[in-house]
Amino acid sequence: MKRIYIIAGVMLAVAIGVLVSATGDMSTYTTFAEASNSSRKVKIAGQLAKDKAMEYNPEKDPNYFSFFIKDAEGVEKKVVLLAAKPQDFELSEQIVVTGKMQDDTFVATDLLMKCPSKYKDEEVTIRIERG
Amino acid sequence: MGEIQYIGEHLLPGKLGHLAIITAFVTSILGVYAYAMATKYRAELDKTQSWKRLGRGAFIVHSASIFSVIGILFYLMINQYYEYQYVWSHVSEDLPMRYIFSAFWEGQEGSFLLWMFWHAVLGLILMRTAKKWEAPTLSIMNLVQLFLVSMILGIYFGDNKIGANPLLLLRDTMDAPIFAQADYLSLIKGNGLNPLLQNYWMTIHPPTLFLGFASVTIPFLYAIAGLWTGEHKAWLRPALPWALFSGSILGTGILMGGAWAYEALSFGGYWAWDPVENMSLVPWLTLIAGIHTHLIARATGRAIRSTYIYYGLSFVLIIYSTFLTRSGVLGETSVHAFTEMGLEWQLIAFIVFFLGFTAWMIGRTYKSIPRPKTEESTTSREFWMLIGTLVLLFSAVIITIATSLPVFNKIIKYFDPVFEGWVITDPVPFYNKYNLWVAVFIAFLSSVAQLMRYRERNWKKHLRKFGTAMGISAAITIPLTWLIASWTPTYNWQYTILLISGVFATVLNMDYLIRIGKGSSKLVGTSFAHMGFGLMLIGLITSGLNKQIISSSPFVMEGLLTNMEDQEGWRKNMLLFKNTPMLMEEYELTYVSDTLVNYNRTYTVNFKKKNQAGEVVEEFNIYPMVQYNKEYTKIAASNPSTRHYLDRDIFTYISGLPEVEMNFQLRQEREDSLNYRTFSAALGETLVIRDTAEIKGKDTSTIRTYQVTPLAINRNPRNPDYEREKGDIPIGVTIQVRRLDKDSIFTVEPVIVLRGQLLYTYPSQIDPLSARLRVDESIFERLLVPEEELEYEEFELTQGQTFEYAGYQMQFAGFNKRAEHVNYEPEEGDIAVSSMISIKAPGGQNYMASPLFFIRDNKPYNLKDEIPAEGLHLRFIKLDPQKETAIVWIAKAQNAFEVPFQMATDSFSSNWIVLQAIEFPGINLFWLGTILMMVGLGWAMVIRGREKRKLNKAEKNQPIVPEEATLS
Repeated sequence: MKRIYIIAGVMLAVAIGVLVSATGDMSTYTTFAEASNSSRKVKIAGQLAKDKAMEYNPEKDPNYFSFFIKDAEGVEKKVVLLAAKPQDFELSEQIVVTGKMQDDTFVATDLLMKCPSKYKDEEVTIRIERG
Repeated sequence: MGEIQYIGEHLLPGKLGHLAIITAFVTSILGVYAYAMATKYRAELDKTQSWKRLGRGAFIVHSASIFSVIGILFYLMINQYYEYQYVWSHVSEDLPMRYIFSAFWEGQEGSFLLWMFWHAVLGLILMRTAKKWEAPTLSIMNLVQLFLVSMILGIYFGDNKIGANPLLLLRDTMDAPIFAQADYLSLIKGNGLNPLLQNYWMTIHPPTLFLGFASVTIPFLYAIAGLWTGEHKAWLRPALPWALFSGSILGTGILMGGAWAYEALSFGGYWAWDPVENMSLVPWLTLIAGIHTHLIARATGRAIRSTYIYYGLSFVLIIYSTFLTRSGVLGETSVHAFTEMGLEWQLIAFIVFFLGFTAWMIGRTYKSIPRPKTEESTTSREFWMLIGTLVLLFSAVIITIATSLPVFNKIIKYFDPVFEGWVITDPVPFYNKYNLWVAVFIAFLSSVAQLMRYRERNWKKHLRKFGTAMGISAAITIPLTWLIASWTPTYNWQYTILLISGVFATVLNMDYLIRIGKGSSKLVGTSFAHMGFGLMLIGLITSGLNKQIISSSPFVMEGLLTNMEDQEGWRKNMLLFKNTPMLMEEYELTYVSDTLVNYNRTYTVNFKKKNQAGEVVEEFNIYPMVQYNKEYTKIAASNPSTRHYLDRDIFTYISGLPEVEMNFQLRQEREDSLNYRTFSAALGETLVIRDTAEIKGKDTSTIRTYQVTPLAINRNPRNPDYEREKGDIPIGVTIQVRRLDKDSIFTVEPVIVLRGQLLYTYPSQIDPLSARLRVDESIFERLLVPEEELEYEEFELTQGQTFEYAGYQMQFAGFNKRAEHVNYEPEEGDIAVSSMISIKAPGGQNYMASPLFFIRDNKPYNLKDEIPAEGLHLRFIKLDPQKETAIVWIAKAQNAFEVPFQMATDSFSSNWIVLQAIEFPGINLFWLGTILMMVGLGWAMVIRGREKRKLNKAEKNQPIVPEEATLS
């Protein structure tokens, strides 16, 4: 057996080991109910509850933005993002927040939005008709 | 709707373009076959020559067709022929010409064309230079092109579309009622380029990256050619410069992406482990691994199999990367994926085909690929280089698998619909964690292996030299690392090791070049590349690990987040009120002004650094910018502004704005909803205005008293929002406001403008009082007194003469030959003079009037001047040059003039911005390191290319030998 093959084999083993251990860094999208029972950071995917109030008062605190989302089970909870309000937030269809539950509030460190594309056909048709 | 005769359409270019696409497709099939035949009969000179001629013809026509499609599409875009869907989607009337290239490759079809363009160019170069490799390489090149052209073919088989054609007509791609009108073209407007992409990076980054993509194909072609012809060693020499070229260009392309992200986007960094970035990095890693095994193969004849595998893998990974970014499978995990176009299955076929093809080609001749029977010695350079390539492969595998999670999720979901899908919770630390060790290994290997020799077996003889070099580098590394670490801390032992390895690689490779290599030009390439890698690591530690968000807000939310760790780290933003200095680290920040040009609003923020005595030691401005969408209803992009120092950068961008500043429609609504009250006062007269304001949160109100004084009327007012146009009649009123419970007095100048039939108001805001003032439109009626209501009295005046009119003491001060008047626009040949008359009112106020008299085309004209406060109107009717007298008419209006204005006291400030500022120490080390790497690769390419040419020349001078004989 050539040494280089042995080394390659060892590396392969390490790679598999790394990927197996990496499951610890992964998560599925959870719900608020599960998040309450977890002390780890989790990701929740949900829809913006547009009827509930959003709060962003940069004059008071430019790093505090709160809103409500509805998770996969239909539970609505308040989410606090400790950052500026993202642009186009109202337009988002789906929101993924990363963070932890704190009492009854989800404190998010990261937020991802899925917005309808700016140049999708729907907008296009309207534009034509208006034109 | 087929029977409608549409007006103004240009259908010919589209038809020609379709023809060119079909031609490109067909000729690529022909090219594959002809060149394959030329390869098959390579031993028979006549046969191979005639097949080759056919293949050349096919590829030349193919390339010409590709260039034509591109040319036609450009032609359509430049002329804004919106009947074409692609033109309509990516171009608009207001798109500056310099962004036409960006618009061209904004869409998938355009970027596929760009890719094919480079393949065609590189293919033509191969055709001229590859000699005996021309037939096999170009056969495969045609095969690759066949797949690429199919992406823009746009042919339907039943319901299945093959490719997305960039030359489709808008009315064929969309159902809209407007297409029932024959003149629909005159009604539609282009959609235009996404404002985010309207910068020069979008012009230079995609062509470079796609040249990088296309260049990865060339070593792959050579590898396949080697496998095909069974000449497993002969291809190595001509392919090496190409591989080095590819490494350099693809690397540059990736870096440009990073530089773009850093310079023009607001995520605050040059690398975010975004799936799209990852998938352009991975082929580069395997390519670099391939280059190293390639070098081993050239030097020792080993590792030819690995070289095949690495080049095959690099090419397949390029297609895989294309698949990930273009199929929409990445979904929410990436910020910059293309939108879906229904090409997923075609792209999968592309990957599967070439994966299978490459595996088959390697498998077919695997046993016959030459390799020495003996094992590499552990003291030889090739042994450690091979390990290095394995480390690179390891990194490539980890990144690919982690990035492909969405793909796996999709596959599992197909079988198990309730499966939720896995995501990496925190991608950045995840990738950093593993690649840190990859970087450490590579840094050490790339330094230690430099000191070893190929095929080294007699280690002892060499040990002394090796030891000295290691010792010198270690001796320099330790204090240097300590120095850097005391400047930018490394926080934990892993990063300390990374820093040490980076410094070590830099020092050793520099030492190697200078001391051992004595600056030999042959060694410059490898030394630069490895030194660059070391420097890049140092830069990553200083700028990446130590990047510091220096903006933070003094406003702290209490109570809510008591038990969260590192919450301070998230407070990243700072609120700046206009003209109110705030302290940030050692700087004093002031938001000074902002200007709106087209869709771009640029803010000026002043930075001042003061010493202990309070003197300003450094001062500069930064100009972050936001881009509005076309309707001015939201911010489409926020562009950062960076202050560069030699040792660090200060990066800033606008992370938040008042809603009324982001949405002008809302601003208008807000303006309309304000509680304006109308007042009227004579100039200089002080009004006392009372108003009740509710006290927030309490059930009570307070009464506030304001003193408001209109001071003057200005017919040539300046307001930051108002830009004067020809024919405008603007009026500005200077108003002084004071609230009795506050000390300060504020002076503002709201403006009202009559433009044609329309009135425009430009209110003035007094933030500390939450007050807003505007001029009431009735001012025009009051100010523009009809001439017939005035009764003029005539005076004939000589210079210095004093006189009285209706209680006013007046003096004719003289003529002004450089006359100016708000309503006067000089023309050539005019003779214009104004007479200056000083006036003293009965109330004691002093004024100066200068009515204008001018002669144009031998006809006399005059323009009156007025003193609105006194209702005085003055006209300069005639000039008597002989007597040097002026005939002046003066009238006083009947009614006393009052200034009508409106004031609202419920207008809250929108004069603020939310700013984020990040400090990147030592970021230039990162750029310097990466540039050195690319320069090193480029240098090596030139050196290896020269070698190749020399050998070619030598071969030419020798008698022709059968191909087999040249093998060994």
